[in-house]
Amino acid sequence: MPQYHVKYVFLFLCCSLLLSSCVNIKHVTEFSKSAIDSIETFETLSSSFNQTCLEDCQNINIAALNIHQTDCDCSQNEEADRITALIYHGLQGYFYALTNISDNQLTNYQTDGLTNAITSGNFGSIQVKEANVKSYSNIITLVGRAFTDGYRRNKIKTYVLNANQPVQDLLHFLDLNLTGNLKGKLEVQKSTLKNYYFDLVRDKKLSTYERTKFAEDYFKRMQEIERQQNELEAYSKILSTIAEGHASLSAEIEHLNDNKLKVALAKYGSQLKMLSTDLFKK
Amino acid sequence: MANLTAEQVKRLADNFMLMANALGDYRYNNIDSLTDEENIKIKGIHNQQLAQTTELYTKSAILVLEDAQDALKKIDKITAESQELYKKLTNVQSILDRASSVLNLASAILALDVSAVTRSIQELVS
Repeated sequence: MPQYHVKYVFLFLCCSLLLSSCVNIKHVTEFSKSAIDSIETFETLSSSFNQTCLEDCQNINIAALNIHQTDCDCSQNEEADRITALIYHGLQGYFYALTNISDNQLTNYQTDGLTNAITSGNFGSIQVKEANVKSYSNIITLVGRAFTDGYRRNKIKTYVLNANQPVQDLLHFLDLNLTGNLKGKLEVQKSTLKNYYFDLVRDKKLSTYERTKFAEDYFKRMQEIERQQNELEAYSKILSTIAEGHASLSAEIEHLNDNKLKVALAKYGSQLKMLSTDLFKK
Repeated sequence: MANLTAEQVKRLADNFMLMANALGDYRYNNIDSLTDEENIKIKGIHNQQLAQTTELYTKSAILVLEDAQDALKKIDKITAESQELYKKLTNVQSILDRASSVLNLASAILALDVSAVTRSIQELVS
C-alpha cells in the first residue's frame, strides 16, 4: 500500500474514533446536579420521627399536669430517623458520583505543561522542534480524550442501567418513611391534640377567655403540623420527579446524545428547581 | 407466617388511624348524651389507640431497612465503582503533570541550574 494511503487510513480511523467517542453529556451532569440540590432539601425538613415523639411525650405530660420525671423513651424513633437518613445518604452519594463522572471537564486533560517542559527544556544533544511537539501534543490530547471518553461513556451506561432499579426502590422507601410514616405520625398527633383540647374548650367551669385561649392554641398547633405535612408532600414531589428523570435517562441510555433525552432531562431539571423553591416557601 | 413488610405495617397503621378517628368522632358528636364517666373512658381508649397507631408508623419506618437493604447494597457498590472511575480519570491529569515536572527537573540538571533544580524538586514533591 502506498505511504500516503496509510496516512489517510490512520487519519480516517482517528476521526471515526473521535466522532464516536467524544459525546457531550453535559445534560446528564446538569440533571444529576439538580437531583442533588433538590434531594438535599431533606436536610431542611422541620419534622422528624424523634421530634414528633418528643412532642407527643410532652403533650402527655401537659395533659397529666406533670413536670416531674418527664423523660421520654424515643429510641425507636431515633432509629427510624437513622434509617431514613441512611437511605437519603445512599441516594445522595450516587448522584454525587454520577455528577463527577459525567462532567466533561474530567477528561479535558491539559498538556500545556508537558509541551512547555519539552520545548523550553535543555536536553543536551536532543534537539526538539517546538512546532512538532505542539502538533503531537494536540493529537495525543484528542486521541487520549477519545479513548477515555469512550471508556467513560460505556461505564456511565452500565452504572445508570444497573443503578436504576435500586434508585427507584430507595426513592420509594424514602418517600414511604416521610410521606407515609412520618406524615402518618403527624396525623396521629393532630388527632391526639383534638382529643385533648376538645374537653378544655367545652369545659363550662373555665372562663370564656380561658376557653378561647385553648381554642386559639389548638388552631395554632394544627396549623404548624399541617405546615410540616405540606413540607413532606412537597418533598415527595421532588422524589417522584427524580425517579421519573432517572427512569427516562436509563430508558434512553443507548441514545445519550439524542435531543429527545436532552430536552427531557432539562425539563426534569427545571421542575426540580421549581419544586425545591416551593418547598422553601412552605 | 412470614414477617410483615414495612408497607403492610404502614397500611395497618393507616387502618388503625381510621378506627381511632371513628371512635373520636363518636365522642365529639355524642358528647351531650355521654355521662362524664363514659366520656373519660372513651377519651382514654381513643388516646391508647392513637398511641398504638403512632408506634406502628415508627415500626414500619424501622422495617423499611430490611426491605431497602438489597437496594442500598447495590447503590453503594455502584457509587464506589463510580468513585473509583473518577479517581482513575483524574489520575491521567496528575500523571501528565508529574511527567512535566520530571522533564523540568531533567532540564534543570542538564543546565546545571541549582535554583531551577530546587524549584523542580519542590514542584515534584508538592
